[in-house]
Amino acid sequence: MIEVHELTKRYGHAVAVDGLSFTVHPGRVTGFLGPNGAGKSTTMRVILGLDAPTAGWATVGGRPYQRLVRPLHQAGALLDAGAVPGGRTARDHLLAIAASNGIGARRVAEVLGLAGLDSVAGKRVRGFSLGMKQRLGIAAALLGDPPVLMFDEPVNGLDPEGVHWIRGLFKSLAAEGRTIFVSSHLMSEMALTAEHLIVIGRGRLVADAPIEEVVRQGSRNDILVRSPAGGALAGLLSQRGGAVTAETDGGLAVTGLDAAEIGDLAREHGIALHELTPRHASLEEAFMELTKDSVDYHADLPADTRKAA
Amino acid sequence: MTAITASVPARARDVLASEWIKLRSVRSTYLILLVAAVAAVGVGYLVTHSDATHWASMSASARAAFDPVADSFAGLGIAQLAFGALGVLAISSEFTTGLIRTTFAAAPRRRAVIAAKAAVAGVISLLAGELIAFATFFTGQWALSAQHLDVTLAHPGALRGVLAAGFYLAVMTWVGLGLGAVIRHTAGAITAMVGVVFLLPTIVGALPVPWNVRIGKYTVNLAAQQTIAQHPHAGYFSAGPSFLIVAAYAAVAIAAAAFVITRRDA
Repeated sequence: MIEVHELTKRYGHAVAVDGLSFTVHPGRVTGFLGPNGAGKSTTMRVILGLDAPTAGWATVGGRPYQRLVRPLHQAGALLDAGAVPGGRTARDHLLAIAASNGIGARRVAEVLGLAGLDSVAGKRVRGFSLGMKQRLGIAAALLGDPPVLMFDEPVNGLDPEGVHWIRGLFKSLAAEGRTIFVSSHLMSEMALTAEHLIVIGRGRLVADAPIEEVVRQGSRNDILVRSPAGGALAGLLSQRGGAVTAETDGGLAVTGLDAAEIGDLAREHGIALHELTPRHASLEEAFMELTKDSVDYHADLPADTRKAA
Repeated sequence: MTAITASVPARARDVLASEWIKLRSVRSTYLILLVAAVAAVGVGYLVTHSDATHWASMSASARAAFDPVADSFAGLGIAQLAFGALGVLAISSEFTTGLIRTTFAAAPRRRAVIAAKAAVAGVISLLAGELIAFATFFTGQWALSAQHLDVTLAHPGALRGVLAAGFYLAVMTWVGLGLGAVIRHTAGAITAMVGVVFLLPTIVGALPVPWNVRIGKYTVNLAAQQTIAQHPHAGYFSAGPSFLIVAAYAAVAIAAAAFVITRRDA
């Protein structure tokens, strides 16, 4: 279990994390979602005792990380796959980390196998692709067989086979009762891995809920209707209990009625329909809806960029 | 997934083992020591060979000032930088790559990590430094033997000078480690290293008399020269106090590293 309480981290005047509180529970994959610059990596560094919080605290398994003895047995983390010594072989790199926690060469060989790095164990890390470095970082996180695992943007740079592998790995680790905390700026990725989501924007908590709930909260499903007699149809739909919003291009966004009801209503009144499209906000849109007030930099897009899904 | 308790000696052994694996598993360690050895022995040979060749034409005062031990260590200036780089890289490479976060996540007691790096890099540097010092001495004396100018280790002050030269190289590793921890950047720390061992004595040497000596005797490499030379130069400390000054540089550098390491985010 990871607990973060009223955590604030400032760098000079810039506030990276702002009064953030949440708990990551064992037995499931918890996604840590937010736009770039939202404070995800900072939060993870504070949890690991690497950065000192300006205020608040974080614990792993109920204790501040710095107090853990041989901490790799309590928590493993992959923060930055690129943070590896190019001149060392994969095996030596892992042996050095392992030795600092009293872990021997046998476990190093095991995690090399788990990560699928057996064949390159004796090769210098300099020549590794980003995907291989991600696997090496995951192998390092698994060294102490810890009950808590944290991964910062672990799918970046992985090929499709690697992405598939990593999703399966996270799920099986969670099924073993471990706490799995995975950050990403991609909602679509979280949708495939995480059961629970902690969403932050500008260092503040935006949502802390099961993934289905986040999607429901963040989206408004509607039906796009186009008709040459749009004005008349809008009136009829409102009478029937629908909420109608006119879109800029002349279409009607309708909620509260389903497509069949709208189609039947139009037929009853002899109104032609040119389009009748149920629209569901994608996870990505739900996420953007959630964090739209909290992104640091965003491009100015046309008013309606929602696409039918 | 069980809580593991480890006694303090076991934890110290853990970080020592880890740092030893790190040091021995990169090529730069061997390359740096090789460069240092070649520079120290090679330059020492060239200078002592030149002494022997020109002995016949040397003035009486030049002959009187001749120091068979100090001259064989003429290549120490390059070797000291190599050892400094070894110390710098032992920590700056971790900051540059970001590996330091993995290191501190695995060993949150940062001062123990600094102590382990200082111990491992220091012991290896001391062993390598002494080995290079003895090889340099014997090569130099062999070159001088052509004119029967050579001395043996039994010569008063000779063994002390050789041991001091090896120790000085280890001190350079510690100074490099301290600079690397404070500056956190390989190029920056090596530049600072050059500043300490080359620029500082040059600037101090340019000061008006007697300040050049009054301050100069506290600079690390001029102090080291007094520990190696057969007779200290006028105005400088003798070998004993000079040795303490050299050692103080190492102590201050490691203390500075220990001080900053817990005060900054990794």
